[in-house]
Amino acid sequence: MLLPRVPTLRSTPSRRRGLPPGTGRRGALLACLLTAIAAPAAGQSSRADVITQQEAAKAKKLTPPAPNKAEALVAKIQDIMLENPSGFYPYFGSVYSGGGFTLGAGYRQFRGDNTFFDIKGLYSFSNYKYIETTAATLGLADGKVNVGAHLGWRDATQVAYYGVGIDTPVADRSNYRFKQGWVSGDIVARPAWWTVFGAAVGYEDFSLESGTGSSPSIEDIFTPASAPGLGLSPKYLHSSFSAGIDTRPSPGYARRGTLIEARYHNYADQDDAVSFDQLDAEATQHIPFLRESWVLSLHGLAQMASDDVPYFLMPSLGSGSTLRAFPSWRFRDRNSLLVQAEWRWTPIPSMLDMAFFYDAGKVTHERSELDLNHLKTDFGIGVRIHSLVGTPLRIEWAKGNEGSRIVFAGSAAF
Amino acid sequence: MTSAAFRTRIGLGAAAGVAVALIALAPLSGSTPKFFDDDPIARVPESQDASGVEEWDIDLFYDLMYNSFATPRTIKTGWRAENLNSIDEVPDSSWFTNRILARPLSAEQLLQGANTGADTVLKGVKLTIIKPKAVGAAPGAIVRGPGGETWFISFDPPCCPEAASGSIMVASRLFWALGYWQAEQFLATVREEDFVIAPDAIIKPPSGRKRPMERSDLQALLRRVHRYEDGTYRIAASKLLPGKVLGGFRYHGTRPDDPNDIVPHEHRRELRALKVFGAWTNLTDMKAGNTIDTLVTDERGRKTVRHWLQDVGSTFGIGANGPHDPWEGWEPFYPGGVAWKRIYSLGFYLSPWQTANYEKHESIGIFEGEKFDPETWHPRTLPGAFLAARDDDNFWAARRVVAFTDEMIRAVVKAAHFSDPAAEKLMADVLIARRDKIGRAYLPKINPIVDVALDPSGVLTFANAAVDARAAEAPKGGYHAEWAAFDNATGQTRALGPGTSATALRMPAPSGLPTADGTYIRVALSAVTPAVGSWARPVHAYFKRTAGSWKLVGFERLPEQEARDGTS
Repeated sequence: MLLPRVPTLRSTPSRRRGLPPGTGRRGALLACLLTAIAAPAAGQSSRADVITQQEAAKAKKLTPPAPNKAEALVAKIQDIMLENPSGFYPYFGSVYSGGGFTLGAGYRQFRGDNTFFDIKGLYSFSNYKYIETTAATLGLADGKVNVGAHLGWRDATQVAYYGVGIDTPVADRSNYRFKQGWVSGDIVARPAWWTVFGAAVGYEDFSLESGTGSSPSIEDIFTPASAPGLGLSPKYLHSSFSAGIDTRPSPGYARRGTLIEARYHNYADQDDAVSFDQLDAEATQHIPFLRESWVLSLHGLAQMASDDVPYFLMPSLGSGSTLRAFPSWRFRDRNSLLVQAEWRWTPIPSMLDMAFFYDAGKVTHERSELDLNHLKTDFGIGVRIHSLVGTPLRIEWAKGNEGSRIVFAGSAAF
Repeated sequence: MTSAAFRTRIGLGAAAGVAVALIALAPLSGSTPKFFDDDPIARVPESQDASGVEEWDIDLFYDLMYNSFATPRTIKTGWRAENLNSIDEVPDSSWFTNRILARPLSAEQLLQGANTGADTVLKGVKLTIIKPKAVGAAPGAIVRGPGGETWFISFDPPCCPEAASGSIMVASRLFWALGYWQAEQFLATVREEDFVIAPDAIIKPPSGRKRPMERSDLQALLRRVHRYEDGTYRIAASKLLPGKVLGGFRYHGTRPDDPNDIVPHEHRRELRALKVFGAWTNLTDMKAGNTIDTLVTDERGRKTVRHWLQDVGSTFGIGANGPHDPWEGWEPFYPGGVAWKRIYSLGFYLSPWQTANYEKHESIGIFEGEKFDPETWHPRTLPGAFLAARDDDNFWAARRVVAFTDEMIRAVVKAAHFSDPAAEKLMADVLIARRDKIGRAYLPKINPIVDVALDPSGVLTFANAAVDARAAEAPKGGYHAEWAAFDNATGQTRALGPGTSATALRMPAPSGLPTADGTYIRVALSAVTPAVGSWARPVHAYFKRTAGSWKLVGFERLPEQEARDGTS
């Protein structure tokens, strides 16, 4: 620029070459600048004059700075999603396992710094429906305690049921319709950064109906003997307590850290017909290698329910986060055991992981049968888009002895 | 195409046609001299009143995405920097001030940096919080001192005492010495009770609903930073920049409302040079959000836009929130083909950062010089100026890096006031190691002849920057010069003798040099049988006879436009 530079200006980057607005406008200056530089004899006696004329030429063509359409759109989305969390927002989630892809939206309104009212809904292509309102306060007690209250309802029209036990044939699939209304309250506390305690109590009203879809309805194949609780629509007072150690950087995405947690549930049937207890024990360990270039992630989950657990609340295996090659709700019984291992590597450390995984699990009638014999297994490979704290997209291919499945999920497997 | 767009194109086409016609006619009225009487200029005129500039906000996420995916496809590479004077140097401007290499810098000056006050300016004072930090995840606040001056304060992350604040102190002084506009930066130790909350201080909590700031908000902020056992906190305090804040600048394009901003930023050498300076200091967070423009009244009383590297804190081994991720400085957020190689190889395609041996220190983070390779160093995203840098830009920058002696580096690191001498030594040692690698990488790459001068008696002297930096061996055959008379009006040359050679860094001119004032000569200076082939390509020095002396008015190292993408 400071030397006469017709060649430079000839190749001034234009909008056609992809530079953003502001740069592209320099095309409009082209004639003025070319003229200014090409005729030094007409009043240019110094280098300073040359540059001054170029600056003067631009001074005649100034435009206010403005974001282009793409930048404006990005800014608007961020404003909706991050800067101003009150208002409408798109919502992606699952109505109920097996419900398929959903469309949804929510509306959130803050009161105070960390207290908000939220209502959100989902509709799936399988005609599953979900709506929930929440009032919550986050970060009480110096950021250590979250509390919430919920009122919700869901309708899952074709939930799969294959019978009880690990050896149920896949051909025995039936469907039932599951409606659930609930009102509940919960509290989660982290007195130290590595400890987590939780408690919840809620009233849950279940309505079980004939299933829709291409498979037979549950009552056409099963009886109360083979589907405990069939025909009942219980109302529960559901209370739960949990305690654990959690050193993961984030539950939604982690390459290191440990989770050890126990959860106790009590389902008190208001008619005292199918009351039951359930104990869950879960452990996760992420072991990084070579600056987290690889991660060996191990996960175990045991669920143990008491005798009267009805068929639709039994521990189960089969889904995008348990036995991934098996369909949702493939195996149910009073007890379940799941062990998973993933060998992850990080092609793009800040946003993309890949993983080989192996899942194994079983459901049993007796707690004493929860061992590592006769497990259902699968394996597969997956890719995950992640942030520092979450896994918004997980796509996996899984292969088991009943075939293979593609998993799309919006969260980490464990 | 819309009719408006069509009309626009027709209009532009007609304007360009007129311009081309004028260019064609120009020789009829007089040819362009290569050099003017005021060459080489030391300062850009920046002649226009910029008071009409408006504040703008560059979206951080858009900037990140653009630099990650669009910039690599759109930036012209191989294009010579456009803000150079006639001797291939960057004149002073609202972007840059020649400091190191242009003049001696003492250890005291380095330690002082941009600061105009004493180090104790914030000792024992009450700070009134007028606004908590609104952008970024790291805690901070805008405060007012007892004299009414405004400061931006930041803290150290809980993991890493002295780390972020120390990095800011050292980096800001290095970048000041390198020539950039830097804010005044001070260290201070404070307690919670040293803070007063202004009645009109407004905070924006997660709800997005702004409200007056309360004491509990301050306490919540302080829970997220490093607290010493005696209840104190160490802060880095950055003095409010002078002038009206306008927002950041991009590393490509120009600001459309600044009449003096006529060189696309990707073609500004001092911004391209951040590829080298960034590599040296591991300035990984190179984005518009860490820059700022202000409208100032300059020393001539003119309103101009001043361009600051506002935040150079994500340097060395640390960021505001803790140590850098191991990959930072080695690859960008989106590493392109490397990602695919890792996918195919199941992660066994290893990058250097995966096996680099870091000497860890909580006040330094992840910073090393052993595996460091300046030519493969990467910030998180690839700004346009970074991608447009050529060998001559890198050479220009490397000269400034190697101009920092060991003593200067060890002096400037003291600005961090690390309590552990090992931390101070580690940072200095790594900076020295990286400096040397930068010298070896960029100085020998092109003809490294510098500081060419011709004395009145006709003795030519010069230096070899690569040899001086011990980055290369001296050429075995010495140096050769071709001398020519130069017609400044037509650009034609006429050989003056058969050429001269010397093994030393001086050689006499051939007899018959012109003696009349206002005459020009050109000297083409190259190395003979050098270890590096590119040294055989001559640099061209132009001298003008003035008052019985020879004045260097031109210097060309790589004058041509070499568009590697073939677009020129």
